[in-house]
Amino acid sequence: MIQLTHVSKIYPSQITALSDVTLEISAGEFAFLTGPSGSGKTTLLRLLYCAERPTSGEVIVNGIHVTKKGFRMVYQLRRTMGIVFQDFKLLQDRTVGQNIAFALEVTGHAPKEIKKKVSEILNRVGLQAREEDSVLSLSAGEQQRVAIARALVNDPPLLLADEPTGNLDDTMTAEVMQILTDLHHRGTTIVFATHDTDLILRYPYRVIHLRRGRRVESSA
Amino acid sequence: MFFLLRYVMRRAFQNMKGNLLPNLTTIAIIGISMLIFSSFSLIAFNLTSFLKAWEEKIEVMAYLKKGVVLSDVEGLRRKIRQFEGVEAVKYVSSDDAMDFMERKLGRQKNLLEGIPPGILPSSFEIRLKKDFRNTNSLKRIVTQLNQFPQIEEIQYGQEWVETFLTLTHLFRISQWVLGGLLLMGIIFITFNTLQLTISSRKEEIEIMQILGASPSVIQVPFYIEGLIQGLVGTSLAILCLFYLHYEVLLYKVFFLYITPSIKDWASGIPILFLPPDKITLIILGGMVLGFFGSFAASMRFLKYRV
Repeated sequence: MIQLTHVSKIYPSQITALSDVTLEISAGEFAFLTGPSGSGKTTLLRLLYCAERPTSGEVIVNGIHVTKKGFRMVYQLRRTMGIVFQDFKLLQDRTVGQNIAFALEVTGHAPKEIKKKVSEILNRVGLQAREEDSVLSLSAGEQQRVAIARALVNDPPLLLADEPTGNLDDTMTAEVMQILTDLHHRGTTIVFATHDTDLILRYPYRVIHLRRGRRVESSA
Repeated sequence: MFFLLRYVMRRAFQNMKGNLLPNLTTIAIIGISMLIFSSFSLIAFNLTSFLKAWEEKIEVMAYLKKGVVLSDVEGLRRKIRQFEGVEAVKYVSSDDAMDFMERKLGRQKNLLEGIPPGILPSSFEIRLKKDFRNTNSLKRIVTQLNQFPQIEEIQYGQEWVETFLTLTHLFRISQWVLGGLLLMGIIFITFNTLQLTISSRKEEIEIMQILGASPSVIQVPFYIEGLIQGLVGTSLAILCLFYLHYEVLLYKVFFLYITPSIKDWASGIPILFLPPDKITLIILGGMVLGFFGSFAASMRFLKYRV
């Protein structure tokens, strides 16, 4: 599903974010990506969804060689994955339903299909009653659930989550983790970047450690 | 595809509605620029039309020296008739010229009393074929006429034609120089408005890119916005020019403030509005400019950054 071979990333300011990272994540796996702030977690995720290109090395995501010269189909790659951020990245002037429908509208789905899919995904994340509410009226945990719903509405085989519980309290974190665990049981590959070691200890998933841009160890 | 198209159109109108003031400003500036450009087009068009109309009536007058006998006149007339481009040659005797003067003076013909009939020179009125009513042909025929010693003077309004041609030429050059400057101005303005729209929608665009929207879905609404700005701005300019042309210039200013004699003369000259094909071209030009402004802005700000 994901393959990184000797990947390094040096920013123009000469900051080395990743250094010679090699790793493989199989289809259906749930992997925590952890390490202190500045260890390269976010950079690694950005390489996976093509927001950055590595300085050297090879990246393969969902069978696509994204580091291959001339690769331009970033949008097609992104349709094969859902991405969730710590700050949710929701459209504040729209309702819950509209935020989720947005993902389907911009990829050319028919209104009937959009309605059906939005309703289904809201059921899955337990927000069916909030469809018409503005996202501003939701709690942080509910907003993150909307962001997850939006990421999943296209049924992607891969979910990338960058500190999705970073802004949430324990109860809300548990709710989000429950959704992600269910998703994992359905076969979706999940890469979850977090620096919360307590959270990692509570779940029996693979852990990939990064420190100063280097991979230091992996455990299950 | 249909749903995407519908979505893209809806987004273009939402963008415009959400950034109404910058959009209205752009439309106004495009309108003013295109009004200046189309005003020059209108003037150049009328000068050209007037020149064409004048060329239709073009005639060469060859005045004969005194003492040319009638037997020579017929020979001369035949020779001139054989010149390339000459349609007809009419002999006007001194007496005919005097009759013409009397008719022209009407009630004031008594001014001619005491003037001997032979004072006016006899002449040839030379009418040219349609394709030869132009400056080059005129000059060639005049050179040929000058070779006859019997001819005293030739008139065809050469200074007038040349001044008029220079003026028309100057207007055409000004139109395109000004057009070029306005073109750059319009592209710059649309570029900046789009930049404002894009920055006000930065979050939404970022989310669209995360969700895998194709570049065309992100960019096309902005192209449509530029096209609409160009269409509305240029159409308003044409409407404004139409109003100025008919309501202000043609009827109020033109007929109110000029002396009656000039008014009589001028009433014979039609002041035309731009023909439909030119209007269509100007509107299309405005739309293309709006589009290029948007295109430049989207190239700069809407690319997937990898």
